[in-house]
Amino acid sequence: MAESPGATPYPGTFARAWAKAVSGTSYLPMTQAQLESLLDRLTGQLAGALLTEPFDLRAGHRVGAELVAAHIASAEGLGRTVEVIQLRLVRDLGLVAEDVEDRMARLLAAVATGYARALRDRTLDEQESIRRAAMRARTQAERALRASEARFRHQATHDPLTGLPNRTLFTERLAAALNEPGRGAQRVGVCFLDLDRFKVVNDTLGHQIGDLLLAIVAERLRKAMGEHLVARLGGDEFVILVERTGGTDDMVAVAETALAAVRTPALVDGHELQISASIGIVERQVAGANPTDLMRAADSTLHWAKSAGGARWALYDAERNQRELARYALSAAIPAALERGEFYLDYQPLTSLRDGSLVGVEALVRWRHPELGVLRPDSFIGLAEETGLIVQLGGWVLAEACREAEAWSAGGAAAPFVSVNLAVRQVHRPGLVQEVRALLRQTGLPPERLQLEITESTMMSTAEEPVRALRVLADLGVRIAIDDFGTGYSNLAYLRDLPVTELKVAGEFVAGLRSPSVGRTDERILASLVSLAHALDLTVTAEGVETAGQAERLRAIGCDAAQGWHFGRPAPADRILARIR
Amino acid sequence: MQRPDWAPDTIDIERPSVARMYDYYLGGSHNFAADRAAAQAMVAAVPEAPLMAQANRAFLRRAVHHLADAGIRQFLDIGSGIPTVGNVHEIAQQLDPQSRVVYVDVDPVAVAHSREILAGNEQAVVVQEDLRNPEAILAHPDVRKLLDLSQPVAVMVVAVLHFVSDDDRPAELLRTLRDALAPGSFLVLSQASDDGRSEDERAEAERVYRRTDNPLSVRSRAELTALFDGFELLDPGVVWVPQWRPDTPESAEDAERAVFMGGVGRLGG
Repeated sequence: MAESPGATPYPGTFARAWAKAVSGTSYLPMTQAQLESLLDRLTGQLAGALLTEPFDLRAGHRVGAELVAAHIASAEGLGRTVEVIQLRLVRDLGLVAEDVEDRMARLLAAVATGYARALRDRTLDEQESIRRAAMRARTQAERALRASEARFRHQATHDPLTGLPNRTLFTERLAAALNEPGRGAQRVGVCFLDLDRFKVVNDTLGHQIGDLLLAIVAERLRKAMGEHLVARLGGDEFVILVERTGGTDDMVAVAETALAAVRTPALVDGHELQISASIGIVERQVAGANPTDLMRAADSTLHWAKSAGGARWALYDAERNQRELARYALSAAIPAALERGEFYLDYQPLTSLRDGSLVGVEALVRWRHPELGVLRPDSFIGLAEETGLIVQLGGWVLAEACREAEAWSAGGAAAPFVSVNLAVRQVHRPGLVQEVRALLRQTGLPPERLQLEITESTMMSTAEEPVRALRVLADLGVRIAIDDFGTGYSNLAYLRDLPVTELKVAGEFVAGLRSPSVGRTDERILASLVSLAHALDLTVTAEGVETAGQAERLRAIGCDAAQGWHFGRPAPADRILARIR
Repeated sequence: MQRPDWAPDTIDIERPSVARMYDYYLGGSHNFAADRAAAQAMVAAVPEAPLMAQANRAFLRRAVHHLADAGIRQFLDIGSGIPTVGNVHEIAQQLDPQSRVVYVDVDPVAVAHSREILAGNEQAVVVQEDLRNPEAILAHPDVRKLLDLSQPVAVMVVAVLHFVSDDDRPAELLRTLRDALAPGSFLVLSQASDDGRSEDERAEAERVYRRTDNPLSVRSRAELTALFDGFELLDPGVVWVPQWRPDTPESAEDAERAVFMGGVGRLGG
């Protein structure tokens, strides 16, 4: 850039010297030519100040301030400026004035003063502006931190799939509802909801469809529940928190609404899915309630709804829960009880209706419980079946029955067979054949003196393995009986495939023989069953025979054998055996 | 990763900031005690430090002038730091008020300060981003709004690349930027070089900058030249910054004392 037009050569010389002196003292955002041009202008002002009457200090102040404004703003910049003005200004410009030294001193003082003032202001301004920037940056960072904390908190308390609150948030809200001061007398409720057969959707249509379905259900529940908190606990489990209820009716209404919301068919990716849910309801007073108990109660109540067939709600029942807890405790004690030998067998006679002889005995397991006394099978077998402990327990019964029965033949007379109940799980378990074979070998019990009782439901499965196993056992000579015939499945087709030896007709048909009106029908059914059985070469044993009259009529229709109090209650083996000796 | 990527920065003015240290070298007062202490330690180790900053700043000024004269009206200044004197938009908009400038810096205080300086200037904006994340810079809505990448842009990577270690692959970062530019765009690059420096000086400088968030990675002329890959270097190539088209022959004297090397490249095609 060119020097400013009209600059005289003399001031130019001084301005160049000045520019050279301050170069490098601080960063100057201009070219050397621009700098010289600026300083040339200031030189004019300084010269003017030296010569003008009266002497005006403000000119010096202005020059000092202008230097700072032009960023010639450092201690060195000032020092060199003072030096170059003092040494060269008067000489280079050829200035002539009275008391020029005096004026020069005052001018330099004014330049330095103006310069220092401007630099101080500038420093304070810059400090202020950087501090303000730091503060603003910090405010922004804090705001961002709060936003990210809120985001983090949201992520930590919500389920990403459905956007619903998750277990963490639900637990917090439940605890807060229970701990809120002054709420002790009020009531709180929880609906624990689970989709019925959701696994089938996942297994057949894939997890993607399953997830979409969950999102739909979540959205429907959220809409239908309004103010009540709906959370997803995981999988297809949802929970609804009703923080204030007026009683169980309120909760039932909430549950009905939820069931209705789920019930509408859902269109997911072209599949119309008919879904239903089960709900466990717990409703109780806030005082004395705690979240863990409440959730556990809701969970077991949900299972009642499920086991009742689903698509329904169930209301928590403390007594039922107590019973279930007791049953659970009992089932958990079975393995230890087996080890301690707390189980034993009683036998109930199966008596021939032709000649009154003892043809067999049914082994019935008993539990001599250290605290509860002797327990009958109906108080623990069902549970053992649910938990799978039946395999262990049933195995023990089978072994014990074979062991005891073998000893009976020592009496000489035709020893009775022993009839042992097999649970579904036992029949379906691989290795049944080997187990029975080994027992027969170990005890020496002849196969025809062992009868295995299976229920009709055992045959409901389409699996072939159990049928094959039973056929092998039958070929060995083991007797196979169908227990409780006529009350369950009663599909006669399996009689064609199974090597059955005997039908045991359920006691309820026999019970009917007491009253003449119903009795006629039952008697006809029994007669038909007997003739059917005989046509198939099977024997028939009637269960639950309690009177001589019943026995007489059964004999009249050709029933082969009978079992029941009329013929003898279950008793230890030696007492039964006394009858044949 | 310990901290999720959306977690915010923290502001700690007890920790020296390279942007505010640079301001101190330039004679500014936009700095705090910790910045001054670190800058003074640097000056003790490398007495030319203030000269370096000034020389680099003058290089920036001359480069912007040159590019504006060449018709460039869009500037992307990455690592712009604390806006002190002679900012890109001041230079460019003085020549053409319609020149558009986007500043990018990673330091939240520098960004907050820039935002204040730029308030009311429709043609200039600052975004908080990291040179090490060029995709984010290019995709930033403010960048997209102000700059038309189908037209030539001058990308300024001035006095910042020595804060990018080789592990962060500076060549790839520059390539990403280059690939987004239209033909006729420019790259202005400068950084601290260790050519002709003693091992002691380098070690001491590195020690000072380890106190900041930005450790130092000095590079040789050859390394810097290689970073212009894809650009045609303008004369006189990669040189000590005072040697790059000096205003006066004297101002290029003792150029190696400036420690910074730089150059300007043009994207052909």
